[in-house]
Amino acid sequence: MRHPFFSLLLALVLGGIVSALSDRIDPYNLDVLIGVGINVVLAVSLNLIAGHTGQFSLGHAGFMAVGAYAAAAVTIFLGPRLLGDAAAPGGLAENALFGGALLAGGLAAAATGLLVGIPSLRLRGDYLALVTLGFGEIIRVLLQNFEPLGGALGLNGIPAYTTVAWVVTAGAATIFTVGCLVRSSYGLGFLAVRDDEIAASAAGLDPARYKVVAFTVGAFFAGIAGGLFGHFKMTITPSGFDFSRSIEIVVMVILGGLGNTIGVVLAAVLLTLLPEFLRPVAEYRLVLYSLLLIGLMLARPQGLFRFRTPRPAPRA
Amino acid sequence: MPTPLLQISQATVRFGGLTAVDALDLTLGERELVGLIGPNGAGKTTAFNLITGLYAPVSGTVSFAGRPLAGLPPHRIVAAGIARTFQNIRLFGSLSVLDHVRVAGNLHRATAPWQALLRGRAFQENEAAMTRRAEELLALFNLERFRDLPARSLPYGEQRRLEIVRALATRPRLLLLDEPAAGLNPQEKIELVALIQRVHREFDLTLLLVEHSMKVVMGVCQRIAVLDHGKKIAEGPPAAIRRDPAVIEAYLGPDQATALFHH
Amino acid sequence: MTEFLQQLVNGLSLGAIYALLALGYTMVYGVLRFINFAHSDVFMVGAFAGLYLAPLAPGGSILGGLLVVSGAMLASALLGVTIERLAYRPLRQAPTLNVLITAIGVSCLLQSAGQLIFGAAPRSFPVIFPARALSVGGLDFSSNQVVVLVSAAALVVGLRLIVFHTRMGAALRAVSQNPRAARLMGIDNDVVIRFTFALGSALAGAGGVLYAVNYPTIDPLMGVLPGLKAFVAAILGGIGSIPGAALGGLLLGLVETFVGGSAYSTYKDAIAFALLILFLLFRPAGLLGKARVEKV
Repeated sequence: MRHPFFSLLLALVLGGIVSALSDRIDPYNLDVLIGVGINVVLAVSLNLIAGHTGQFSLGHAGFMAVGAYAAAAVTIFLGPRLLGDAAAPGGLAENALFGGALLAGGLAAAATGLLVGIPSLRLRGDYLALVTLGFGEIIRVLLQNFEPLGGALGLNGIPAYTTVAWVVTAGAATIFTVGCLVRSSYGLGFLAVRDDEIAASAAGLDPARYKVVAFTVGAFFAGIAGGLFGHFKMTITPSGFDFSRSIEIVVMVILGGLGNTIGVVLAAVLLTLLPEFLRPVAEYRLVLYSLLLIGLMLARPQGLFRFRTPRPAPRA
Repeated sequence: MPTPLLQISQATVRFGGLTAVDALDLTLGERELVGLIGPNGAGKTTAFNLITGLYAPVSGTVSFAGRPLAGLPPHRIVAAGIARTFQNIRLFGSLSVLDHVRVAGNLHRATAPWQALLRGRAFQENEAAMTRRAEELLALFNLERFRDLPARSLPYGEQRRLEIVRALATRPRLLLLDEPAAGLNPQEKIELVALIQRVHREFDLTLLLVEHSMKVVMGVCQRIAVLDHGKKIAEGPPAAIRRDPAVIEAYLGPDQATALFHH
Repeated sequence: MTEFLQQLVNGLSLGAIYALLALGYTMVYGVLRFINFAHSDVFMVGAFAGLYLAPLAPGGSILGGLLVVSGAMLASALLGVTIERLAYRPLRQAPTLNVLITAIGVSCLLQSAGQLIFGAAPRSFPVIFPARALSVGGLDFSSNQVVVLVSAAALVVGLRLIVFHTRMGAALRAVSQNPRAARLMGIDNDVVIRFTFALGSALAGAGGVLYAVNYPTIDPLMGVLPGLKAFVAAILGGIGSIPGAALGGLLLGLVETFVGGSAYSTYKDAIAFALLILFLLFRPAGLLGKARVEKV
């Protein structure tokens, strides 16, 4: 990544073009595209936690839920007051509100991530997986019991603010942030902590800090994805963010290859499109999906897209 | 007398019923080169783990440059100026040789992590400086030709050397080497002795060495402390330790003690 | 007081089911050190095996009920052994993470295949044990609850006998303490692992039928929550410890039932996880487990 800003800019221009053409694209394809983008954000952000830092987390859907609810709360409850009646649909004011809502969702999720990151300091491997799973379920149960946000029935009437441009921007920002972080000499610490915690602390790195940073940053982007998701589906329920949603994201990361950003992006795209391709055999979809997962684990345990040797560092 | 660099007083470490280090006293002055020897299971590595904060003593204290280390996590102890290597080499499986040294330079990084996102001039310059410093260190130890290789693919002796370089990248005042000669052939051992002496001289630091190879220990150390069953049984210059009957007994058992005298 | 005793009985019979499931988790974790996510679906298959076997046995009798339970145990054991052979054994040398993901895949497969084969809608479970409402000293409970408690207790005692008083049990304990040393002592680890899966899955199958007896409808996703909670129970008791799993199961069943009967009943499903987090933070070895020190 010689000119990281250049690639970010490229992604934004691309997003702009697609959204400018969005009137001419089949709405069904547009929806698929948005779904792909949201999953890319989720998978790349989980990859920072599970892939680069090695903290196996099964609670990513929980962070997503926090972000989705917080962002929806902002647009539903604050939106009308801030915008007034005059705001044009799709105008600057509306987009500014949505940007603020996404940010609020991200921050709320990041705060949750901080909270979940703390137990990760003591636990590892499948114990950690279980605790993050537990946190995810607790978040779900809490939301189910929180009547101001719709309780078990969920929140309806979320404005449809999510556009392809927003999704592409979020995806590019996630990839950019995670990429820049793990390529910096600071970010090498994430990998070091994953490889050997004791050796990492002997090299002067604080493993606890790295883990908490990974959880917080990862959760932030999961929260943004949640905000995008809510303003795309226009309705959210606590049960939509259960354990199986977390698993879906984990599968993308594993399939892409832990710590391999490009692989994870490809896997997220592939796995979002797969159900669309399997639509003709909808009945067998889940069966095929799980057989594929087992088969892949047996045949390519290192992930679908891992070919490279460790990346050379930039020349000084 | 000036404050000693490292002072362990009456430190005891226990695992369940086993006392691994028993009321240990050990003092290191600035720029000393000291060996810690003893039979297997004598508590040498435990003493290292005690100094580096991996184990906490049940009683006694460890202080560094006059400051108590009690309760400090391992990385803070590194920041205070104590670096180490491991008996069974612990390198990072996915990092290149250069990145091992770069990552250890983080203690002396000049920019904050969030600056990695803005990628401003200060950040770029700092990154370049860190890489340059890492390359210089690698060059000093003849590792620069492995720069971009995964550390795992290095020959054994080079892996040991890389671990020392990684420790030096934290700019320690005290370096603990845990059996650096383990697994080396005689030629490599001779090179290691030269390397240890060079590190001691050029990096201006204090060295504490746990080692089984008598050749290495006797060759480089100014002073040697001997542990047996967690207790310090002798301390002194190499020549005196070589003749100390308590040491010989600890190594060979009482029957062979006399045999060694004639050796 | 009556209220309390009533809840106690309800809690114990729920806890007994958790205990049966938790035993399987703990045993597999003991020998292979991973969470067998598919265990909860073996439990589900056990319940469905009971559903299909029920018409073949005399209904509403103790003998018939026991026959159905035994049949379901056999079917579950076969399934467990098959899963181990096909999905887990090829990964014996792979990192834990891969085995974990594979287990999740198997779990997902059993659920989706279950939905295809058994149908996604809840099915009502026939009466296989004599069903009678009992009332002792103001306490109301069903004969089914008695059946659950007695069968679970009998199975746990049976398991203890197998683990501590047979050669195979000794081998099982050896492998869970140190697989390499066990191999050097001439123990075939694969045989022991297969045996562990058979035993654990049989208990899960029994748990499935007993659960169905008490909660009259079953469906292909019925295993998910009880499974997760049973694993939590195994950790509460101290993973790897057989009495610990039984104790953890009972404890969790009791706590859940009491919370379910209180003003906080809607938080019932979060209790297990809150307990889990507290335990892992403050007593990671569980109630009856032993703490380990990492060697450096």
